[in-house]
Amino acid sequence: MTGEPILSVRDLTVQFDSGDGWRSVVEDVSFTLNKGEVLGIVGESGSGKTVTSRALIRLLPDRVSRIAGGCVDFEGRDVIAMSESALEDIRGGKIGMIFQNPTTHLDPVMRIGQQIAAGLMLHLGLRSRAARARTIELLDEVGFRDPERQVDAFPHELSGGMRQRAMIAGALSCNPSILIADEPTTALDVTVQAQIIELLRTLGRQRGLSIIFISHDLGLVADFCQRMVVMERGRIVEAGAVDDVIARPQHPYTIRLLHSQPGLTAPGSYFDLDGETKSRNETRPAPQGDATYLAIDRLAVAFSRKRSLGEILTRKPVRDLAAVDGVSLNLTRGEALGLVGESGSGKSTLARSVVGLVTPKSGEIQLDGKSLGKPGERQRGPWHRQIQMIFQDPVSSLNPKMTVGETLAEPLSVHRLCPPADVKDRVLGLMTEVGLEHDLLNRKPHQLSGGQCQRVGIARALSVEPEFLIADEPTSALDVTIQAQIINLLMRLRESRGLTMLFISHDLTVVRHLCQRIAVMQHGRLVETGSAEEIFDNPRQDYTRKLLAAIPRVARAR
Amino acid sequence: MGRFKFVLYRPLQTIPVLIGVSIITFVLVRSIPGDPVRVLLGPRAKPSIIAAVREQYGLDEPLVVQYFYFIYNLLHGEMGRSIIYRVPVLDVIAERLVPTLFLLSYALLLTVALALALAIVAARNQRRLPDHLVRMFCTAGLGLPAFWLGIVLIMVFSVGLGWFPVSGYGDGFWGHLHHLFLPALTIAVALAPVLTRNLRATLIDQMEAGYVQTARARGMSERALFYRHVLPNSLVPTVNLLGVAFSWLIGGTVVVETVFSIPGMGQLMVSSIFSRDYLLVQGVTLVFALGIILTNFIVDVVNVALDPRIDP
Repeated sequence: MTGEPILSVRDLTVQFDSGDGWRSVVEDVSFTLNKGEVLGIVGESGSGKTVTSRALIRLLPDRVSRIAGGCVDFEGRDVIAMSESALEDIRGGKIGMIFQNPTTHLDPVMRIGQQIAAGLMLHLGLRSRAARARTIELLDEVGFRDPERQVDAFPHELSGGMRQRAMIAGALSCNPSILIADEPTTALDVTVQAQIIELLRTLGRQRGLSIIFISHDLGLVADFCQRMVVMERGRIVEAGAVDDVIARPQHPYTIRLLHSQPGLTAPGSYFDLDGETKSRNETRPAPQGDATYLAIDRLAVAFSRKRSLGEILTRKPVRDLAAVDGVSLNLTRGEALGLVGESGSGKSTLARSVVGLVTPKSGEIQLDGKSLGKPGERQRGPWHRQIQMIFQDPVSSLNPKMTVGETLAEPLSVHRLCPPADVKDRVLGLMTEVGLEHDLLNRKPHQLSGGQCQRVGIARALSVEPEFLIADEPTSALDVTIQAQIINLLMRLRESRGLTMLFISHDLTVVRHLCQRIAVMQHGRLVETGSAEEIFDNPRQDYTRKLLAAIPRVARAR
Repeated sequence: MGRFKFVLYRPLQTIPVLIGVSIITFVLVRSIPGDPVRVLLGPRAKPSIIAAVREQYGLDEPLVVQYFYFIYNLLHGEMGRSIIYRVPVLDVIAERLVPTLFLLSYALLLTVALALALAIVAARNQRRLPDHLVRMFCTAGLGLPAFWLGIVLIMVFSVGLGWFPVSGYGDGFWGHLHHLFLPALTIAVALAPVLTRNLRATLIDQMEAGYVQTARARGMSERALFYRHVLPNSLVPTVNLLGVAFSWLIGGTVVVETVFSIPGMGQLMVSSIFSRDYLLVQGVTLVFALGIILTNFIVDVVNVALDPRIDP
């Protein structure tokens, strides 16, 4: 079903200025793209997959980077050796490109119609009226419901999914033969991701496009691509048909990637990573007793809308935005409950109001039978220590000016948990527990990797001996192999410390892996709760089914 | 165009500000040691005459009463009579306002032109010779005091080359343009560096932005994407800074007006303070306050026009 090669890359090497000389970021990369096929490039951050994709149309920053060798053969010409003006004809005209974040990659002060029409006027020489008419057709094609009106919208007036559709319309406006998609769905919700992938699939088929699809998500690549290459540290380590690579991975890195996929390892068992202990298989501790530990009763949180001067003076009632709308939820001691939902569903707000970072409008929260206080009059108490939180962005949740040691020592001294002389021992003990080398003690966050930062965040939460851990998307900012390590760590800690856990994620497979019970939220309300098996095998609500259907294929296999 | 609705109600919000300004200046002026009548009549005036003049200008009334007279008159479009000039305050101000407004607009135009040109050259030639030259100009412009620069410009271009008049305001539009070039340039050289540095930094920042990548990937030339995407996105912070700089300038023209002998508001302000001409000081201060409020208002309108995301 795929034809002859349309683009072939041979021995591509890209170097970046590292301050003391040129350092290769992409080395000797070779692959071909055939007509009409979807080729996936998989790799983690720093693997060079994005740099490779940019190098194909020479979109790399001047001066700090250079293409040190190799060629990119397209229609019998070498893109690398091409003149700047010939290159401008190919960019957008023959090869279209879409980017990861549609919010930053569309000009915020220009109407989307104008941005799309710019390409049409440039490459096809259309006059502005014809370009506008064609733009409206394109918007219709990518699924805009009211293109006549939305052609004049500014990017901020559209949702993330619609922005990505607009970007696709722009990239395809001049009928290119190749589309390069660089993580086009990473910034989007899972259901929106599924829609965008479906759109790309349809458009690819209808227009006979060849697509290069760059992603960190093996599941997504397996779902969407016919062939794939796996990149690690600037090199291609494995290439082949998607089904072959997944069924019979050859390179250790590919094997490690596959072993890190939450959907491919049995729920509740440790990920099999080299260097990690591969002990018992079924490690999920049964809930210790049925006593309710945390009881959330009809909790509501509202954020006030900005009021205009007129509204303030006339005391006109303004409807606040309900972020959490009457949610009741119970956790038994020792249980891990997964809270899933898309952005804006209120799952983070719910967690934040349990910790006390957000003041609820009404409702009650009880911890171990004791009320945490009425909304607005919540006081500091021992529960401050009992409930701890881990945050999504591991780097920004640490104080950039404090070393690992200082970060971990601070809660110990704030809560006067141990005599000053013992602080250092305690800190080192915590570091051992979360798998941090002791020589990282005096490092600051910017000298650590994302995974190490998240381990510091976990150690900080553990330092005050909590009973209850709230993890708000702790792995979404991390690479999948790092995610697997962090999940392994969280499972081990739950086992050794008997922690109760509320685990928030947009990723159902991760939640399924870690939690016995799952609660689904949408628009501030609880849609469905049930055991992990019930939710996955027998979902009762349409929304849950939609979320499940959006999970890419490799994760669902087996 | 719902975002522009604030144009209708924003002026109402200036009323409390103006009341505050009027009270503060009223009290401040009267707390300066000295007495306008004594300044007017000289040290040897008889007490009875002083008392009579004080009564004539209402200066013998309690402060609160004087303030209400002031507000009452203001609402009737009166600011009272200048004690020194013995003509209505408004007439004095009207006469001095025109040169200052002309000078300010002229300086603003030169500043914007200078800052735009320099910042664009610097940003597009980052870390190359033009960028370094612009940086040197900015450091020099920030370092040179306005009175010194003014005098040097006069010596070179007026006295030496004879291209521009030494002082004064000139007649007619072209006369003003000719006479005020050097003073406006003096202000622009002092003001442009801050704006240039700010705009250059923003431009360089925006050149890395995602949407620039998108435009480049769509085949747009470097030049086109700079003027169509990078520049429009860089203007908002610069316009804000320009507003602040201009507000500062409104009260700060006095040095330039003195060096170039321009009969403007800055000079009037200083002389009226020295002569304790209460009513005139109040009038001038109110006009300055209005000017600053107006500037901020214009900055808001321009921002809303430049950036569709701003919804005041």
